[in-house]
Amino acid sequence: MSHAAQNPGLHPALRFVEDIGRKTVAAIEELGYVASMLAESCYWLIFGHRQQQPVRLRNIIAETMRIGVHAIPIISIICLAIGVMMAIQGIQTLKTFGAESKVIVGIAISITREFAPLIVSIMVAGRSGSAITARIGTMLESQEIDALRVIGINPARYITAPLLLAMMISIPALTVLGDFMGLLGGGLYCIIELKITLAIYFERCAAALSWTDISQGLIKSLAFAAIIALVSVSNGFQVRGGAEGVGRATTRSVVMSLTFIVIVDMIFTYFLNFA
Amino acid sequence: MECTTRLENGFTVIALCGEVDLHFSPKAREIILKHLQDKNHVLVDLSDVTYIDSSGVASLVEGFQHARTHDLKFALLGVSKAAMQILQLSRLDKVFPIITHAAEADQL
Amino acid sequence: MPAAENSEYAIEVQHLDAHYGERQILHDVSLNVHHGEIMVIMGGSGSGKSTLLRHLLGLNIPTRGSITLLGQDLARNSEAEMFELRRKMGVAFQGGALFGSMTVEENVVLPLCEHTELDEKTMRIMGRMKLEVVNLAEFGDLMPSELSGGMIKRAALARAIVMDPRLLFFDEPSAGLDPVAAVELDELILRLRQAMNITIVVVTHELESAFKIADRITVLDQGAILMTDSVEAVRNSDNPRIQSLLNRLPRDDAIDADEYLERLTGI
Repeated sequence: MSHAAQNPGLHPALRFVEDIGRKTVAAIEELGYVASMLAESCYWLIFGHRQQQPVRLRNIIAETMRIGVHAIPIISIICLAIGVMMAIQGIQTLKTFGAESKVIVGIAISITREFAPLIVSIMVAGRSGSAITARIGTMLESQEIDALRVIGINPARYITAPLLLAMMISIPALTVLGDFMGLLGGGLYCIIELKITLAIYFERCAAALSWTDISQGLIKSLAFAAIIALVSVSNGFQVRGGAEGVGRATTRSVVMSLTFIVIVDMIFTYFLNFA
Repeated sequence: MECTTRLENGFTVIALCGEVDLHFSPKAREIILKHLQDKNHVLVDLSDVTYIDSSGVASLVEGFQHARTHDLKFALLGVSKAAMQILQLSRLDKVFPIITHAAEADQL
Repeated sequence: MPAAENSEYAIEVQHLDAHYGERQILHDVSLNVHHGEIMVIMGGSGSGKSTLLRHLLGLNIPTRGSITLLGQDLARNSEAEMFELRRKMGVAFQGGALFGSMTVEENVVLPLCEHTELDEKTMRIMGRMKLEVVNLAEFGDLMPSELSGGMIKRAALARAIVMDPRLLFFDEPSAGLDPVAAVELDELILRLRQAMNITIVVVTHELESAFKIADRITVLDQGAILMTDSVEAVRNSDNPRIQSLLNRLPRDDAIDADEYLERLTGI
């Protein structure tokens, strides 16, 4: 991919500028591609039935199983551990002020607003996002995508749309699970350390939480779901160059998903809190 | 594409005609299965069929299978050369009872 | 046969140019295929035959020229017309391109599920009939990964013909098969044409297979058509490029010393 070869006489500084220019164009092109993919998926989800080419419920369910249901154990364990960890750290920190009992407010709000959606999305990006990219890349290389097209099956309808929808269902659902498991984890540590019952712990959690805390997390999780689906699918469809290409695209897909998730998280957090 | 049925020799003769393709075969299937469910012995007359595709043949297969499990007689009548080639391709010519005249149905 | 065809040729390709990026792959390719004909597109690797096939399938868009399948111009077809046309086309890809997440039978039935409203039972019977045709009756429940190379090609063929297409495209049917399996597949292609009167386009580099099944052969070389003619005429052609292809000789072009040196030294 050395563009420099096309302009051998160019000054290094100019070459650098040229490189930036090319990359910017490529990035905008990719953004356009992702946007058109999103539009096409929505089109099939809404109008597919009228064209007698519906998005199959069967495909949506299969993807939801893969992305959501099969991730339940790992999400539960991780969120539980995060809850315990936050309780430990929180109590340690607050002890210096003699305010250990305030730890519950901290756990409740940061789990629901931040950690559950973030951890769930990171797990799904690593677990399913990479798998989706690899699967689509492999299908492309083995001409399965071509086969779909010649049969008359639009890949956006058959692959992208079900994935997008399954992601939008799975991640918020897993986030709710993550909320609960995280709170539970915090609670398990608190009942030992603060000598309260689990019932009292959850009562205090409920008192500390408002609906906006939970809905904030869920709104974020929807955005993360769209990011993971679009990034992993678009990277899959851009695979070139055999098995090695699939590997490269998979890595790129996960890194891109995670980067966008964290950045979008930051932006959302700002606007949801101050705007 | 009209199906006509007549009674002959104790058989219900279902005469298909024209093109038995993806559009028409669901109807043909329905008619054949309906007569079999009424416990009739069935002959399917293909002599006026100009073209039959595999959805048509599949409907015949389903009818034949239904007839066998319910102890009914089922045969194909007047199979054209084109239809025969489609049957031969999947070796179904050796599976279906095939006769040339309704009168031969006695021997089934 | 279904309604009389409304065009003289099943496939018409006119003055087709194709590029990958800057590189021109096809140069002014024109080709007609009659109804019910078996046309073999032959050429070595890099001859552009795969690119030509991709254009015939409507997977790539040509830079210039037109492709007409069953009287319909691919470039002018709307999405809906293209969808209709695809019902009448079957394609068996080189590597089979079976969907790895489905059983062989589900693969074969998929086009029916997407294109028809038939009863599920009817679809299943149709799928199994086609598996009978390609001698894979007992293997319907296996996953593609459990099949051998020859079986994959036959399963792909079963999927390609499940809709009783008017046009069948077959990419490298005998590549990677042992001789016996290759001959069986050739015979299957001939039987299919006879029974279903399909127009068949086979892309291959295997001479044996090409001579056995073809009505006519198109020889492609470096993106241009060298000749399109009957098997006999191609066999007896005195074109040196065709002869070297037939006799499997390495390429022996005249070398321009200046140009060659320039390529090596870059000066």
